[in-house]
Amino acid sequence: MRISDLLTPELITTELPVTDKNQVIEAMLKLIENDPRVIDFQKVRQSVFDREKVMSTGVGKNFAIPHGKTDSISDLIIAFGKSDEPINYSSLDGQPVYLVLLMVGKENNVSFNIKILSRVSRMMSNDQFREKLRLAASADEIRTIFSEEESKFFDL
Amino acid sequence: MQISSENILLMGSLLLLLTILASKTSFKLGIPALIVFLGIGMLAGSDGPGGIYFDDPKLAQFIGIFSLCFILFAGGFETKWESVKPIFWRGISLATIGVFVTALSTGLFLHFVIGLEFIYALLIGSIISSTDAAAVFSILRTKDIGLDHQTRSTLEFESGSNDPMAYILMLACINIITSGEMQIGEQIFFLVKQMVIGGVFGYALGRGGVYLINKINLSYEGLYSVLVTALLLFVFSITDLLGGNGFLAVYLFGVILANSSLIHKKSLVKFFDGIAWMMQSIMFLTLGLLVYPMQILPVLWAGIMISLFLMFVARPAGVMISLLFTKINFREKIFFSWVGLRGAVPIVFATYPYIYGIKDADLIFNVVFFISLSSVLIQGTTLPFFARKMKLVVHESERKKTPLELELSESIKTELMEFFVPHGSAIAGMRIVDLHFPRNAHIAMINRDEKFITPSGNTVLHEGDILIIMAEEKDVLRSVSDILSKRIDKPEEKPDAGETTPVESSPDS
Repeated sequence: MRISDLLTPELITTELPVTDKNQVIEAMLKLIENDPRVIDFQKVRQSVFDREKVMSTGVGKNFAIPHGKTDSISDLIIAFGKSDEPINYSSLDGQPVYLVLLMVGKENNVSFNIKILSRVSRMMSNDQFREKLRLAASADEIRTIFSEEESKFFDL
Repeated sequence: MQISSENILLMGSLLLLLTILASKTSFKLGIPALIVFLGIGMLAGSDGPGGIYFDDPKLAQFIGIFSLCFILFAGGFETKWESVKPIFWRGISLATIGVFVTALSTGLFLHFVIGLEFIYALLIGSIISSTDAAAVFSILRTKDIGLDHQTRSTLEFESGSNDPMAYILMLACINIITSGEMQIGEQIFFLVKQMVIGGVFGYALGRGGVYLINKINLSYEGLYSVLVTALLLFVFSITDLLGGNGFLAVYLFGVILANSSLIHKKSLVKFFDGIAWMMQSIMFLTLGLLVYPMQILPVLWAGIMISLFLMFVARPAGVMISLLFTKINFREKIFFSWVGLRGAVPIVFATYPYIYGIKDADLIFNVVFFISLSSVLIQGTTLPFFARKMKLVVHESERKKTPLELELSESIKTELMEFFVPHGSAIAGMRIVDLHFPRNAHIAMINRDEKFITPSGNTVLHEGDILIIMAEEKDVLRSVSDILSKRIDKPEEKPDAGETTPVESSPDS
């Protein structure tokens, strides 16, 4: 499985709101709200906010990875959003966020979910990759960038 | 020995113990566990060394129906809609048209070759026309035959959903026999009514059940199993009372529950899996006790002929005709034909003629018993061989298991959560032992660059690591979060997006 295969154009936005963190997460959730894999959207939403409550997913380097795990989806969902303006996401390194990846995994799939998170974290630690994403202007472009970067790794 | 209320617990428990011990060896020998259960029942019964006298078809039928409710519910409760969806129509076709063709062709064989009156012939055909969910599930799963996913789902779905059709056909035959009239129109109406009411009730009560279970807010988790038990028995009996098919309803009820988000689902699935095994053991033991092996001897020849006809003609005909318009290849259809395992369901159905006072009910029972036994014994044991012969065995790539597959989230007390070591965190570069984690929180694992590593006190944390933290309570996770959120005292750059704090704003918008 590849992350770029899951990132279909309707799950990508290049215009995240810049008001505040909660608005950004809501906007990311909006992307997946009507996805057929979602069984109960309210529970999905709750799982993401519950996770966020424990500790911010603004993991630094202008990137945030809100995520949740729930039984209310039939399969893993990933969405991606970016903003050209800085977002205040209360990241630990004090930097604003420009890139956001939302992941909702199945409750029982702990180790698989962690592998995805780890893959994302590993890709995002590459400065050039982040730079390319920040310059990308369309969903297709973003998908291509993901696909190219992922070709360096084994399939998950 | 007579079963009485004083000794029933002792005898019952001894029989169950024996059964379980015997099933262990049966797996090694490749004999389906069901046969062992039945065998022990027979040995313990009046014709065997056990000498337990049990001759109460009415009680046996009650135990059978009661057990079937749980077995069918549990079968439905394990059915994932995603795996049924692609094979839904062919499964339905097998479960209705397939059953009908099998029943009719067996009936015609019995009528023309053995010379039975047609309606009695059809009655026997109907009783043995459904495959048995318990037998199919246990053999396909325990035998470890690497069947391709769709093949297995189809066979399981068929066996779970074809009992109602067989049941209705059987009742229609009994209606005709007891009333002495051939009212075809009425029986077709009866069939449709059973299906429609059963389907609608199963679905509607399933939806209602999900709502009730999620909203009722019981104080003890264990009570949810009791609630679902009560609901499933209610679904069966109310549907039956109102003229619908209770078996269909209870199966559907299970399917709906399985595919809704349900509170305490994991513990419920476990509970009903256990209950289903228990019910199977009890049911097979009871049926084994009920039969008098000596009485099978007079019907042996007829039994063998019907068995062979069923295996080689009636079941294949049912499969071929009901799958006529599908793209399934011929080899696979042949295999489907061989998985025509009869089991407890036909034997339970065979107690109905007793209850309705049909003549020669004991003959019918003995024939059906023999057919079921031979089917599970012959087809059940040769299935893996057949699957290989038909080149249907796929070698599933072995799924790698990491220690995390242990379903830790199941126990209520333990929380398992993943934390990133954020960039800019003061703990990056520190050894775990220096973090001063709360006593009741442990780093179970670290994932670094997609590899799991086992932490020790000396492990140095890196930025971007994912820590999998196990904690006894949710509150502890907060203090873990505080530790991980410690910032390096002097940030290298000034934040350019307003004020940021490591303390979380709670998202209650």
